Amino acid sequence: MNGDETFIEIECSQSIKTGESVCGDAFKTVRLDDENRHIAVLSDGLGSGIKACLLASMTTTMALEFIRKNMDVLPSAEIIMDTLPVCELRKISYATFSIFDILSGGKVRVIEMDNPKFIHLRNGKDVQWEAKTMVSEKWPDRKLGVTEFKAIAGDRIICFSDGVSQAGLGSPENKFGWRRDGALKFIQDVIAKEPSVSARELARKITVEARSKNPEYKYLDDTSCMVIYFRKPRKLQLLTGPPFNEENDKIFAKRVLSYEGKTVLCGGTTANIISRELNRKITTNLKLIRISGNLPPPSQMDGVDLITEGILTLTEVCRALEAGKLYDLPLAASELTNMLMNSDVIDLIVGTKVNEAHQDPNLPVDLEIRRNIVKKIKYILEQKYRKLVTIKYY
Amino acid sequence: MEKIKVEICVGTTCFVLGASALQDIEMFLPEELKDKVEITGANCLGLCKNSHFGDAPFVRINESIIVSQATIDSVINEIKKLVK
Ligand code: FES
Repeated sequence: MNGDETFIEIECSQSIKTGESVCGDAFKTVRLDDENRHIAVLSDGLGSGIKACLLASMTTTMALEFIRKNMDVLPSAEIIMDTLPVCELRKISYATFSIFDILSGGKVRVIEMDNPKFIHLRNGKDVQWEAKTMVSEKWPDRKLGVTEFKAIAGDRIICFSDGVSQAGLGSPENKFGWRRDGALKFIQDVIAKEPSVSARELARKITVEARSKNPEYKYLDDTSCMVIYFRKPRKLQLLTGPPFNEENDKIFAKRVLSYEGKTVLCGGTTANIISRELNRKITTNLKLIRISGNLPPPSQMDGVDLITEGILTLTEVCRALEAGKLYDLPLAASELTNMLMNSDVIDLIVGTKVNEAHQDPNLPVDLEIRRNIVKKIKYILEQKYRKLVTIKYY
Repeated sequence: MEKIKVEICVGTTCFVLGASALQDIEMFLPEELKDKVEITGANCLGLCKNSHFGDAPFVRINESIIVSQATIDSVINEIKKLVK
């Protein structure tokens, strides 16, 4: 897609059953760029801990592959069920799954087995599609539901494991758990208040709310919630480094003025260029240094959403993104990571002039070349976080 | 009297060479100076690119006085000179 079509944001929030060390639900998603297709699978393995984790991971991995290769649904499901190892204790092998296959043009196919039925929200209402049921002769008690429909911009698809629907089970308010209806009501309220809430944020809110239904705020089961949001893309441009040719300073400034989305400047020189070209002041609140961790503090300018130092901050952000550790970061890195996570389309604008000061052998740290670090960030954002990223050098 | 403007550079070079330690200048200012100075952070002042200014970290006072290899003490001394 180019940046202006509907963007499909797919996010999953997962929490591990309190006391366990791994999650017994598994989630996997891929974007197949050449087919303009997305596949997402959520699976809940029988029990919890390692055993469940294994069952669920095997299920998601197989399901994703079979769907990607366009295999028929029923035989695929049979292979999955045949392959899963049998639990010694319970003498069964079992993991639920929900598969979402989103084709170009918004055609959606959902294949479900035993997870709570997915929610399809359009204009705040749960569209209840009729599912076609399929039964395997080999496994007559496992019913598959297949639903097909067309999604349009603004739609959301939500799917969760029973850790969500059974939250609070047995409590006076939720004798039978929160249930699909309770969760649906909560989701509708959230969206009414915050109509463009991101998939990531909504998924997180749902798991946190589920936990709040449980006694002592514990997760009594692995709790996962996946949200797919067909949205207008949220765009962000990140300008870093002075342009090689000074004439291009003007282009940088123009980009800041005309971009439809958020703007971040990474690097003092870059910020100074924009400040000079647009005649806008940069302010740095020194008080922030105290809470900035080991990075220079962010600064502010009118019309710019974030200004950070350049190479140290980018290096830290790159490291965090790569490790998937997006919390407890120094202030500037944490603000930048958050903004990246909350964007769908990211335009990296890189000035290639070398900063002589960084060539100083007296510097106690190795400062990588800006170009390399930005390239690496692009790769991670695309592969790991499914963002659409472009790079332009000046 | 106009306040003395003290800019602490928190650009990359200055930061890695110790500017973060300068944040506490405010705490070490003698009582009589406290309301006479205004301390702010600044982006790279452009001084680190030119060996003729000395070594980072840099602090700039009243847009003109440059303290190189700045420490809390050396900056406070410069400020004292201005008040006299
Ligand atoms: S980083 Fe301080 S003068 Fe350049």
